[in-house]
Formats: sequence, C-alpha cells, structure tokens
Amino acid sequence: MPYRRLITQKPFLTLGLVVAAWLFVPAAMKTFARASFFELTAPVTVAADYARVLQEYWGLRLHSNHELIEAGRDLARLNASYELAVSRNNEMQAEITRLESLLRLPSFASYRYEHARVARRDFSGWWQRIVIRKGRNYGIAVNAPVVFTGGVVGKVTEVYATTAVVELITSPNVRLVGVVEGDDRPFSFQGGINPTLGPARGVVEHVPLDLFAAATAPKRLVTAGFGGVFPPGLTIGQITSLEPSSDGLFKTGEVKLDDRLGSLTEVTVLVPLNPE
Amino acid sequence: MATHDINLAARSGSLVESHKGYDPRLVLFYPLLALLLLVLAGGLAYQQLLRSGQHSHAERTQNQRRILVPGPRGNIYDRHGQKLVENRARFSVVLYLDELKQELRREHVRIHKNYLAAGATRKDVSYRQLEQLARVAVVQRYLDRVNRILHRDEQVEGERLNRHFNSELLLPYTLIDNLAPEEYARLIERLPVVSPLQVFVANSRFYPFGSAAAHTLGYVRPYEEVAAEDFPGDDLRTFKLKGTIGKDGLEQQYDGLLQGEAGGTIFRVDPAGFKINPPLEKRLPVQGKNLVTSLDIDLQLAAEQALGDQEGAVVTLDVRTGEVLVMASKPDYDLNKFSPRASRETVQDMTERSAWTNRAIDGFFPPGSTFKILTSIAGLRHNAIRPDEAIINCSGHIMIGPKRFVCFNGIGHHGDVLLPWAIADSCDVYFYEVGRLLTPDLLAAEARRFHLDRRTGIDLPNEGGRMIIPDREWKRREKHEAWFAGDTANMAIGQGFVDLSPLQMACFVASVARDELTTTPTLVHDPARPPIRGEKIGLTPTQRAALVSGMEDCTVHGTGKLFANPTLGLPGFRVAGKTGTAQKGVKPKQINIAWFLCYAPVENPEIAMAVALVGDTVGESFEGGRNAVPVALAVMKKYLEIKQRPAGAVFQPFRLE
Repeated sequence: MPYRRLITQKPFLTLGLVVAAWLFVPAAMKTFARASFFELTAPVTVAADYARVLQEYWGLRLHSNHELIEAGRDLARLNASYELAVSRNNEMQAEITRLESLLRLPSFASYRYEHARVARRDFSGWWQRIVIRKGRNYGIAVNAPVVFTGGVVGKVTEVYATTAVVELITSPNVRLVGVVEGDDRPFSFQGGINPTLGPARGVVEHVPLDLFAAATAPKRLVTAGFGGVFPPGLTIGQITSLEPSSDGLFKTGEVKLDDRLGSLTEVTVLVPLNPE
Repeated sequence: MATHDINLAARSGSLVESHKGYDPRLVLFYPLLALLLLVLAGGLAYQQLLRSGQHSHAERTQNQRRILVPGPRGNIYDRHGQKLVENRARFSVVLYLDELKQELRREHVRIHKNYLAAGATRKDVSYRQLEQLARVAVVQRYLDRVNRILHRDEQVEGERLNRHFNSELLLPYTLIDNLAPEEYARLIERLPVVSPLQVFVANSRFYPFGSAAAHTLGYVRPYEEVAAEDFPGDDLRTFKLKGTIGKDGLEQQYDGLLQGEAGGTIFRVDPAGFKINPPLEKRLPVQGKNLVTSLDIDLQLAAEQALGDQEGAVVTLDVRTGEVLVMASKPDYDLNKFSPRASRETVQDMTERSAWTNRAIDGFFPPGSTFKILTSIAGLRHNAIRPDEAIINCSGHIMIGPKRFVCFNGIGHHGDVLLPWAIADSCDVYFYEVGRLLTPDLLAAEARRFHLDRRTGIDLPNEGGRMIIPDREWKRREKHEAWFAGDTANMAIGQGFVDLSPLQMACFVASVARDELTTTPTLVHDPARPPIRGEKIGLTPTQRAALVSGMEDCTVHGTGKLFANPTLGLPGFRVAGKTGTAQKGVKPKQINIAWFLCYAPVENPEIAMAVALVGDTVGESFEGGRNAVPVALAVMKKYLEIKQRPAGAVFQPFRLE
C-alpha cells in the first residue's frame, strides 16, 4: 500500500526534484539553456507561421473571382494613393538632401528599414510581445525600434539567429519619451497592465500642467526623438485623459493605443545605421 | 522440571521492579522545583502579558523604517491670476542603494579574493574598508551606465556615498542632479523599467518674473524638519527628503498654508537595514494651498522698470480696500538664484548691494514736504489756519530764533500765499508758520491719529518699527536735549527727526483720499472684500476742498506738474499729489530723498501711491518733482492701461482661517 502511494506521488516528486535542481543550476547555464531552447524552437515557430500563411492562402483561394476583382480594384486605388505619397516623400527627401548639402548639415538618415513578418503573437498578463521572422541574419539589434503603419509597435528586446522578440508598447516593461504633437516638452509614456483580449492602453507621466486632453478631445502622442531610440514624430497613441497628480507638479493620464497592435502581421524594424 | 522452575523463579525475581512509594529525601526538592517552575511561569507571563507592548514596540522600531516626502508648496498668483511663484520639476537620476544588497555582497567577496590573490593577508585590509570599496565599485558601475547614455564622465564621491549609506540608506542616492530635458528623455528610454537606477523627480521653486516683487514674495530655504501629520510611525526611525520653508516675504508669512502635506512610506527592513517590499503603509504627498495676492504684476513691473537701478521703493494701494497693488523695493535680487539654494556668491553680492532690505516696509526716511499734508490737516483741524487766509508773507526765508530758515521751493519768494498754493508749490515758509502756530505736541498727536507712530500691520514679516514721530518727550528721552522752536519748523515740513516708511506714507495718502484716518494694508486679494470704513479725519467740507485742491494743483501746475504735461503726462486725469525732498545724513554728506505721494482719480479715488527714492550722490539735484514724479506717472499710466482691458476671471484666494 505505501509503495502504491509512492507510485502515485512520483510525478510530483520528480517535478519537485527538477525544480530544486534548477534552482541550484548556475545563472549562466540557465541563460544558455533558455537561449538554446528559443533557438531550437524558432524553426518550429517559423514553420508554424509558414503553415498559417499557407492556410490563409488556401482560404483566399476560396473567394470568388468577382470578390478578387473587387479586391484588386481596391488595391489598385490604394496603390495609386501610396505611389503619390511615395512620390511626394521622394520630393521632400530630395529637398532635405539639397538643404543639408547647402547648409553643410549632417544627414539625419540614421535608420535602415527592415520589414519583417510576425511569426507569433504572445499576449498575456505577464508580457505583451511578438516574435518576428528576422533576427541577427538581417542585422537586427537589441533596442531597435519597431514600427507599423499606425506608429510605434515597440522595441526589440531579444535577438536570435533567425528571429527576434519585440516587446510591444502595450507592455508595462516598455517606457519611452513622447510629446504632444506640436509641443516640444518631453514626458514619459509606459505601457499599461492590459488584459489579454481587452483594449490596449498606456499611461503618461510627468505631463506639463498646461496640457489638456479628454476622451472627446484627445491629443496625439508622438515620439519625442530626444531619447535616441525612437526617431521623432511617430504616433504612439491618443491621450484620452489628463489629471493633475496629487503633488501638483505634473499631470498623469491614459493613452489609447492602436487596436491593430493586437493583430499585426507585418512590421518594420528601424535598424540604426550608426549604433552607439 | 523442578530445576527449571527454580531458575525461572530466580530470573523473574530479578525482573521484578522494586518500588518505594515514598522517599522523604525527595520531598525537599518538590517545593524547590515548583518554585522554579513558578518563577519561570511568572517570568513568561510577565514578558508575554505585561511587557508585550514594549516587545512589540521594540520589534517595530527595529524592523520598520519610515520615509517622509515633503509635499510641494502651493503656487502664488497675482490678482489677475498670473502665476508669480510656482514649482518646477527638477529631474535627477538616482540609485536605490537598498536594492543592491546581493550585488554589494558579491563585490565584497570578489574584492576580498583579489586582495588575497595579490598576497595580502586578512590584517592588511579591514572589513570596513572592503565594504567601502565594494560600495564605490558597484555604484560607479551604475554611474558608468548613466555616463554612457548621457555621454558624461561623472565619478562617484566616496565620502558622500558612505555617508549616505550610513545615515540615509533607504533614501535614493542622487547620481546626477538637474538633468536637461534631453538627458531626462534619454534616460527614460534607455534605462530598464525595473532597475535600481531611476529617474527621480523633485521640485524647486520657480519665479517666472525673476526679481519682480522679490522682497514681497520672499524666498524659501531647504528644510529638513518635514513633518507628516496623522501619518503613523512617529516612533520609527525616519528618513526625510528635504523640504522647503519660507524665509521672507509672503513665502514666510503664509508658510503654514503654502506648505504641502507630506507623504510617507513605512517599510519593513532586514537586519542589515535593506528595504523589504512592498511597503506596509504609503501616502502620497499633496500640494499646499495656492495664494492669490493683491499684487498686480503688470503694475509691479511698470514700477520696477521706472525705478530702474535707483535705490528706493514704490507702494501702491487700492484706496477702497487697502489691498497692495505694488510693492517694489530696489535694489532687489533674482529669486531664482535662491532655488534650490542661494550660492555663497549670491549672498555676498546681495550683502554688498544692501539688497536684503525691503525698503517699502523697512526703509525709514524723513518724508520731507509730503508731511505738509499732515501739517495742513493739523492746522485746519485746530483752526490755526484757514483756507482763505494768508498767514504769512513768504519772502524766501523766515527767522526762527537766531536761525534763518529758508523756503527751499521759493524762486525768490511766494509772497502772500494761501493753503492750496502753499501745498501745490510746497512753500516751506508757510508751513514753518503753521508749525509755529501749532505746537510739536499737536503735530505729533495728529500724526498718531493717522497711526504714523506704529506699524501698519501688513501681512508681511519684518515690517520695521523704527518710525519716528518726535515730540518734546521723545527728544528728551532719546537725545537728552530740550525741544527748540527750530525743531517744530523742521517737523512741520517733514524734516528733522521725522522718519517714516514708504508703506506708512502710502497708507496715509490712501486714508486722506477716503477722508479717513487709517488704512490697514493687505497682500491677499479678496474680490469680496468690503470697502474700508473708518473714522473720519474731521475736516469741514471747505477745509477738505482746500486740501484736495492744493494737492490737485500740485500735479497741474505745482511741483508735480509733469502729470499735466500734454505729451509726457496724463492731462485730464485728475491726480492729487504732493512732492517732497528730504535730506538724510549729516552735512556735508547729506543725500537727498525724493518723495511723491498721490491718489487718483480725485473725484472717486481708486489708487494711492507713495514713491521714495534715495539719491546716491552728495549735493546732486535729486528732488521729488524731478525724480519721484516720473516713477509715479509710469505706474499711473499702466494703471489706466490695465483699466481699459476687459475684465478677466475672478481668482479666489485660499480661505484664511
């Protein structure tokens, strides 16, 4: 009878022994094990993503020709507007380059753009992050800013051979410096503690007292560019409330973040050309 | 078989326990044992029941620490809501030393090993030295991280660090103070969110208008005795972040209300004094109450600009309520140099320039001819003079005893002069005669009726009490001399021993404007403040008309006629005033004091003003009409300009309880 009881307790005993052994393993070995595990699972993650893409492809194949023609037309319109925007950007870029050479100013082109597909999204109460399908093989480095069409996505926190982990701005572990559009006084933005499937929000602190925002009159929060990580002018979110802090020195408030952050499929990593 | 039984019996016999039920020798020990047990039980009961409170307290004081954070001070506004004093954030990068326990321990061991590896023995380096080396090494590592981000090259100050470790372990250790906005931004983005390194926000006083109303607003100094009322843990070892305390002006006067409510945190600590999170108790600091002053910053700036670099003061009052609109004193100082603390150079510079004194409330000067208003009132009230009676023919001088008293303002002579013209053209001979007709005691009594012999009671600290309204008794007591007729003559024209402050004179002229005796000035703005209603001066309508007429004539064609100048003045705007020029000091080193008192508009007085300027050169032509009137004119012009503006929001002051 005691033997049978021991047999039933064996899994717990084993777990306890493994946990106890893990506690005594040196930190370096733990780090190595963790990194190795990630490298080993990375192909699986990427393969799963390819499978998902294939699945989506076959899903799209089920659409009727009529739907595809409609989508093609919409895409053509969108492409036309984008081409116009690209053309304008090129003109402005040329003007900036001309002025820089005229005034002998150093060039501000400090980043290289690396587009990457999102392989996995990982949203939980603990962390809010995504895994992208590019890593050291494309020169991506830790702390590189990541953006999408809606603004800031987050920053790279871990880089592996073929993948990289991006901590989203919805995470409380990401902090960056923002300004209200049109103002130049920097203050701190930090991701909030967000529910897994709930709307993403962040918090702002150290906001000057003379700035006002409300849900009915939100203020666009953009990156300040002073911090050296994010270039200026990228959208972070909309400040929907600002309240004076109890010490009367600043205001604190809430920021509504882009809902699309929860369903990203493609992002752009800004790889610094001259990393410090 | 029999043999076997015998053996068994023998064996069993040896196994039988013999028991002696009662041993008298042991009885002695029972009470002793019982006594000992009783003592132990009693001791236990004493410690657990009677001394439990003390043990609990000892455990608390040993294991808990309290941190107090001062609340920011309230802001100070002018009467239109312009911010005169506010708090500005000061960012610094700090290191929470109490989170470095493991790291310090590892560093300690590493350094020790290195010493041993280098051939040193345990005696060569003490535990304390190793501890200090480990502290510096670890903190420098963190500072290097900050240096890399900010491109700086800061070094740890070992002595300061050890002092902090020993006495303020739970408080953050400042690595770099006063960060620029760009530095703040770089650190926010590049430091990990969870780290012993954090960007810390403190606050310091900021004065948007620099030196404007410096003496009135006052300054603050760092203060360590931060108290948190109703916050538990008075008996715990407490660490306090420095607060501030008002040391002059309104900052001192209303310190109790401006002072913020301190916040606090109580932590449990381990035996080495390192913090254990989360805190047991936490309360956020709260900002102090805001103060809305009666000052008008635009008027104040106009007055200070008109004063320029001249030594002196300007006080302007709202005639109806006694609220102070302007209180300027020169030389002054930039209040921002006191934030967070004044440097030695600043203090030395202020001392050399005599900039500490608020001359509006603590500068005492002979009022000169402005005192003639009081002499006139005394003469009229005691029927010594009549408005329509020329009491003397001014020939440019008068003999009082053996001494010749000249009319300083007579170009040649005034001839037969009536009261209004005597005031307007400031005829000294006329007022010498009024003094002679009165007595010094009557003159002094009249001055006392206007409360010129005492402090005004303004809500500011350090209002001086060196005013002098002399009489026979005063001179006997202070100078050990008898009163001479010449003293009366001098007193009648505001010279001799009379000494008054600009604020007193501003209150005096405000009272005259309302035909009342006293005005209590205040620096707190209250839109609902009722008009002052006090005792009347006691002049008949004819007498008052003559007095006011003389004062108005002064600004139209008398000594203050700049007001009526078509291009420079305010023609059409009825101002009643009186100039004065007094001498201070002993001949030949006398310097002139230029005065001007006024109120306006004559028909419905709103604003009263006193200007007093101190000349800086012996023998220079420095006079009320020439030097003080332009200052008053500048302020009056600004006042009219402000009156044209549309009314803004009404600002409520804090409730004075």
